Amino acid sequence: MEFIRKRGRRTNLWPYLLVLPALTVVVCVVFVPILNAVSMSLQNYDLRRPKLISFIGLENYIKLFADRQFIASLYRTALWVVFGVGFQFVFGFALALLLNQEFRGRALARSVSLIPWVTPGVLIALMWRWLLDGNYGVINDLLQKTGITDGNIAFLAARATALPSVILTIVWQGIPFFALMLLAGLQGIAHELYEAADIDGAKSLQKLRFITIPSLKNTIFVTTMLRVIWVANSVDVIFNMTEGGPAYATQTLSVYIYLKANTLNMGYASAMALIMTVLLLGVSIPYLRSMFRDQGV
Amino acid sequence: MPNSLCRAKRSVSRFLIVGLPLLLILIFLLFPYYWTLITSLKPNRELYSTQVVYWPAEPTLAAYGQLFGQFNFLKPMGNSFVVAMITTALSLTVSMLAAYSFSRFRFRGRKLLMVLFLTNNMFPTVLLLIPLFTIMRQMNLLYTPASLVLSYTTFTIPFSVWLLNGYLNDLPMSLEEAAMVDGANRAQAFTRIILPVLVPCLLATGVYIFMQSWNEYTFAVLFTNDRNRTVPVALKSLIGQFGVQWELLTAGGIITVIPVCVMFFFAQKRLVAGLTSGAVKG
Amino acid sequence: MKKILSTLLALMMVLSLASVATAEGVTIKYWFWADNDAYAATMQEMIADFNATNGQGITVVGEQIPWDGGGYSNTVFTAAMGGGGPDVASWKLTATPSFVANDLLAPLDDYLAAWSDSSQIETSLWDVMRTAGGGDKVYVMPWNTQVLYVYYRPSLFAAAGVSVPTTYQEFLDACAALTKDGVYGFGMRGAKGGQEPWGSFIHARGGSFADLTTPEAVQGMQDFIDLFQKGYTPPTAPSDGFSQIIDNFKSGLTAMTIHHIGSSAGMVETFGDDVGAFVFPAGVGQWTSMGDTENVMFASCANKDAAFAWLSYLATGKGQETWCKVTGNVPVAASVKALDEFQQNPFMKVSIQGAPYAGILPILDTTTEWISTVWPSTVQQALLGEITAQECMDTLQAELYK
Repeated sequence: MEFIRKRGRRTNLWPYLLVLPALTVVVCVVFVPILNAVSMSLQNYDLRRPKLISFIGLENYIKLFADRQFIASLYRTALWVVFGVGFQFVFGFALALLLNQEFRGRALARSVSLIPWVTPGVLIALMWRWLLDGNYGVINDLLQKTGITDGNIAFLAARATALPSVILTIVWQGIPFFALMLLAGLQGIAHELYEAADIDGAKSLQKLRFITIPSLKNTIFVTTMLRVIWVANSVDVIFNMTEGGPAYATQTLSVYIYLKANTLNMGYASAMALIMTVLLLGVSIPYLRSMFRDQGV
Repeated sequence: MPNSLCRAKRSVSRFLIVGLPLLLILIFLLFPYYWTLITSLKPNRELYSTQVVYWPAEPTLAAYGQLFGQFNFLKPMGNSFVVAMITTALSLTVSMLAAYSFSRFRFRGRKLLMVLFLTNNMFPTVLLLIPLFTIMRQMNLLYTPASLVLSYTTFTIPFSVWLLNGYLNDLPMSLEEAAMVDGANRAQAFTRIILPVLVPCLLATGVYIFMQSWNEYTFAVLFTNDRNRTVPVALKSLIGQFGVQWELLTAGGIITVIPVCVMFFFAQKRLVAGLTSGAVKG
Repeated sequence: MKKILSTLLALMMVLSLASVATAEGVTIKYWFWADNDAYAATMQEMIADFNATNGQGITVVGEQIPWDGGGYSNTVFTAAMGGGGPDVASWKLTATPSFVANDLLAPLDDYLAAWSDSSQIETSLWDVMRTAGGGDKVYVMPWNTQVLYVYYRPSLFAAAGVSVPTTYQEFLDACAALTKDGVYGFGMRGAKGGQEPWGSFIHARGGSFADLTTPEAVQGMQDFIDLFQKGYTPPTAPSDGFSQIIDNFKSGLTAMTIHHIGSSAGMVETFGDDVGAFVFPAGVGQWTSMGDTENVMFASCANKDAAFAWLSYLATGKGQETWCKVTGNVPVAASVKALDEFQQNPFMKVSIQGAPYAGILPILDTTTEWISTVWPSTVQQALLGEITAQECMDTLQAELYK
């Protein structure tokens, strides 16, 4: 018997019925707004001057590529996502492996490691802003007490340190996500695999490389991809810490879109948003292709 | 003697491999929370100082009294809790079905649907607000918790479908095949074999959904009114145009975290291997 | 679980039905922001007082919306564009052009013509309201204002041997002289909202908002840059917003900073007598920024007479007195201004001294974007030495009059 039914044998309604509830919610609620945004991107849809709104074709898109801030924000988004998600993953995975060990107080360790994730976004930005303060922040104090630096650093007021500072904050916030998701995935790996490896005398690192990571392959890819999308879109942390400043130093694409939309230039913001969607889709394609290929669709 | 030395050596190396890294990561994760805590305990006159102080000179719980008294923080917490729980239950059920379908069936339009789900969350929500508000108004859901549940599920379902699909793809298919060979139908194979194994993943996904709805501000401020405000909106109202009520804000942050962590403390027991050797042998 | 769920769903349905049901009499939905929970409570008390005393069966329902760093106006805009939103809302003048352009606000002229109290409010203020609405109509009802002035620490002045500056040059010199022993002379606001204190520098050199590229205006910009680059402000100035300049001043890190009476209560709580205020001194010109808070009525409001009754209660009625007393804002109604309480307050005195020089940015449809993104990012570039004062002012001019 073949467990997975290939298409063409007989039209099976079940898969469609199972997807239907999820699809209904998503399509009913977001489909119209997204189409609306596509149409806004083809107009000079500036709500500050609603009487002048008209169809302008691709003009918004053409303008974008001449916009220095747009190009610069793409580059910053790349740094923000690569370093933000990269460090979240590394530390999150490490934390998942550690929390999967047996030790006393594990339940407590597991639940307190969720704290950054539970903390309301508005507070995260304010707290980190305070920790990183350039006049009397505790991070400056610690750096000086340990002799690493010998003067206050205005982390959020200087071009060189502002982006790393907001990345540090998003890393802190995102570690629990990876830790929890991967910890859950770890539970699905059969003990037998490790037992067999023990008999063969495998070292911990070998087990990690040859058993754990391959068994978690899909989970790792999916969580990373979802996190990339989430982080690329996140505005909260940056907006509340620096508002994209100083002098654009932390203005990622999503922050730029947010600012343009909030100052009511919806057409321009929509064009940027669609470009971001296409770029994110582009980034996901290698994974999507390999996943669909593996499954022999 | 050599035996105990060996054991001591092993426990030292275990500390270096497990204890120390764990401790370092936890310090990094918890330090800002500690800082929030001491800020909430500072009396007003200690709030402003050019000296960095690691513990307040005269800690006070006044902010907490005010938070639960005049500010009535339990109300937004209750509202948030109701919305987050319903959103979680709803999204989890609906996503589980869709994820199962994507993982275990091959059908026309599958790829397209999956990509559609993914794209849904790539688009910045700030551009969807005005039409979404109109939709909520037309459905007569404005200023009810239902509007929040609906808008949150819209964004949590696609993510959860993908997450669960990822987990399902990592589960060996042999499990269900064995059950179905033994005469179980698909539904039985799902409830008896897959579901128990999937409990940790459902829990993790559930936590994800819960957090998304627990911490959301933009929809919450638009779709609720004074009767059903949630935690993020209540906390944000403490950041005024001409001043931040630091002590209340930080106390609110500390309190917000506690029930979720306590809940997870009990729920995490389920985060253990569901795949026993018995199940594999079927 | 199932039982809980169905109970909750039922509960939600009941709640949604309740919100549809219409109350007896006339209900006015009012949105406002409050700076802290005490002010929010005061507002609810005022609403209760109005509901009990208006005698026309009007019930105001007040809902607090977080200020959210100015996101308040966007929240109101989204709701109004989406066909919902309040009948009356508290207001910032800068939001007016975009709301008027989308026909969201109700003109008040007919009501004002028949209103006996309109003379309580100065003509110049009505002119400002009219200009913000595009020149023809008044859409905005004045509520209270705040005049910016300089806060200073007498003890730090004494220690540095500096007296209260009476000219612009003395002010600049004071910034330098006060900078010592870990204290900075001036708490500069280089992040969002910084255009308000910054405007005083531009005007002190003889510049104006009409043309930001004149040599005088550029010189004012240069002074602003110099204060930062010479180290007379905290090194964090480019990222310091409202919260930081106040925290820095309260911590004793800065000797002077610019804000208005809204923060005086907190200052006195921190310093007692050791805090004072003076009007930003004159150079070639003199100017200080006027902060404003108003109320508006929406075009979609079904009971405009009732809404106007509430607007007038806030502008010249009991609401004016209560609100200004509690928040310390400068009243707009002559009768309330005359009250002893306002005449005696030292910070109110400085506010009133500064009032003749107080002004606002040109209210154009570009102003919101200019304030929230153009000004901070351009001036930050200038502070960090990436562009010159001239280049900075050229950009600011071009973006404001786009």
